[in-house]
Amino acid sequence: MDGVRVGKRVIGAQSPVTVGWENIPKVQGGPLRLFFFTWFQPTMLFALIAFWYYAPNSIAKASTAVGIGIGFKILLLGLEWLAPRHESWRLTWKELTVDLFYVSLGYTVLRLIEGFIGSDAVIEAVQTSFDWQKLAWFIGLPLLLQAFIISFVFDFGQYWMHRGMHNWYPLWVTHAPHHYITQLNVNKGAVGNPVELFLIGLGIGGLFDFLPRAALLAGSLGLAVGTYQHINVRFNSPRWWRFLFNTTEHHSVHHSRDFEASRSNYASTWVVIDRMFGTCVDGEAELLGMEGGRPMSIRETMVYPFADGWRTLKERLGRRSVMPAE
Amino acid sequence: MNHRLVQWIWHVKGSLALAPGQTSDEVFARLDPLFRETGTTRQRDGSRLRFRKRDQAAQDRMAVFDGGELRVERGAEAPVLRYHLTSRALLFCFLAPLMFLVVARLTVIVGEYNKPTPAEIAAKEKREEAKAALPMSPIDTFLGAPAPEKPKKKDPKSKDDDDKPRPTAAYVFAGIFSVLYLVGRIGQARLVRRLFTARLSTL
Repeated sequence: MDGVRVGKRVIGAQSPVTVGWENIPKVQGGPLRLFFFTWFQPTMLFALIAFWYYAPNSIAKASTAVGIGIGFKILLLGLEWLAPRHESWRLTWKELTVDLFYVSLGYTVLRLIEGFIGSDAVIEAVQTSFDWQKLAWFIGLPLLLQAFIISFVFDFGQYWMHRGMHNWYPLWVTHAPHHYITQLNVNKGAVGNPVELFLIGLGIGGLFDFLPRAALLAGSLGLAVGTYQHINVRFNSPRWWRFLFNTTEHHSVHHSRDFEASRSNYASTWVVIDRMFGTCVDGEAELLGMEGGRPMSIRETMVYPFADGWRTLKERLGRRSVMPAE
Repeated sequence: MNHRLVQWIWHVKGSLALAPGQTSDEVFARLDPLFRETGTTRQRDGSRLRFRKRDQAAQDRMAVFDGGELRVERGAEAPVLRYHLTSRALLFCFLAPLMFLVVARLTVIVGEYNKPTPAEIAAKEKREEAKAALPMSPIDTFLGAPAPEKPKKKDPKSKDDDDKPRPTAAYVFAGIFSVLYLVGRIGQARLVRRLFTARLSTL
């Protein structure tokens, strides 16, 4: 495989990666199908923004957001079933069950722990120590601008944490299990070691406060954009969408078995951050995973950071002990 | 408890009537592609085939099973294929609801233990009030976005606490995994039977 030169890097030399939007297949079918898969993403995004902007206070709350999030994911699972992007990524009973196990950890055990040591605890501590009048300028900004800032700043933090995970071994061992997924489905974003999910949640968004409605609007951006990172559906995303936002295509490149390709597209929602720092690769890949596509079991996923960290430490210490004394 | 009933949780057994005169060689040759998947090892011993699967690929059509045995036996009129498969995924899915019931109980205990003090509740209420009193952007007023409401004073005697961890999610997942188990146990047994039938029907 020759690969394709993108900037200073060669992408796709180890595993097939399609580079360039012009080379990516488009949705095929009748006018109704084309209309649906072209306008579904922007319509859902603007509908959610309008809903949270105008919803009465009585329903603009976190529990409604959880309900909408679950409903939206069920809808996307239905789309995956009806119109899979790749047959090789088709959701099976076992894949769904395993994915839901990781999702359930996020809603139960991790949420419980986060209240003590995670981002929830950080936000609570920071907010308790602030004088709110000093932040009046931010809360006085238009809601949509607040929502954009919350989303962008949080994603900016995630970008550097994610990039750090791909460049520094102690962080990488927590993130590596997520890269053993061999297909993208709606709930695959939750698959990984809990330590990683805790680290990636430590954004800098908690360092300032905002109106609850602005946070809900920012959350709808994550839901209506970030969710498409892991989905087995092909959309004809508009050009402006692909420029600003992360897509399945971008994220499949990130999960490719090609090492150089996997070191790109780090942002969660705003792929424009990758464009700013030169790590964006527009393209797609079907062959995903690590070690030639070896799947990782739940048990190995849970112990991997500690087991691999311990093995590496022993190797390094062993190497040092056999070095001749100078 | 009945041993067979306990085994039923993660063991899938079944039999298929074969056409008269079919030999075990013919049968296993037809089924062979199913055991040529990555991570699968198989051992043939006359009319018996044993297999084990490790790190099954997602799209392996028998990915849900970790091992098993297939035997071709003589029937009254025609040979019969008997299979006995085991699945850790089914066992795990069966046990998951129990785990979530434990998590739910733990959530309640943590909530009781970690109750906010009256001072913490008062500080939070003060913060929310201060936020609600801040001016809303004129652009939002013009566009008609609802203004933030002043938080309602909580009755100090009220047992409701919005910040208290709730066990609801754990109960919901216990329910989801119960349904998934039933769907998986019945559905996967049917699927594997259909898979064997489809491969053998071309004989």
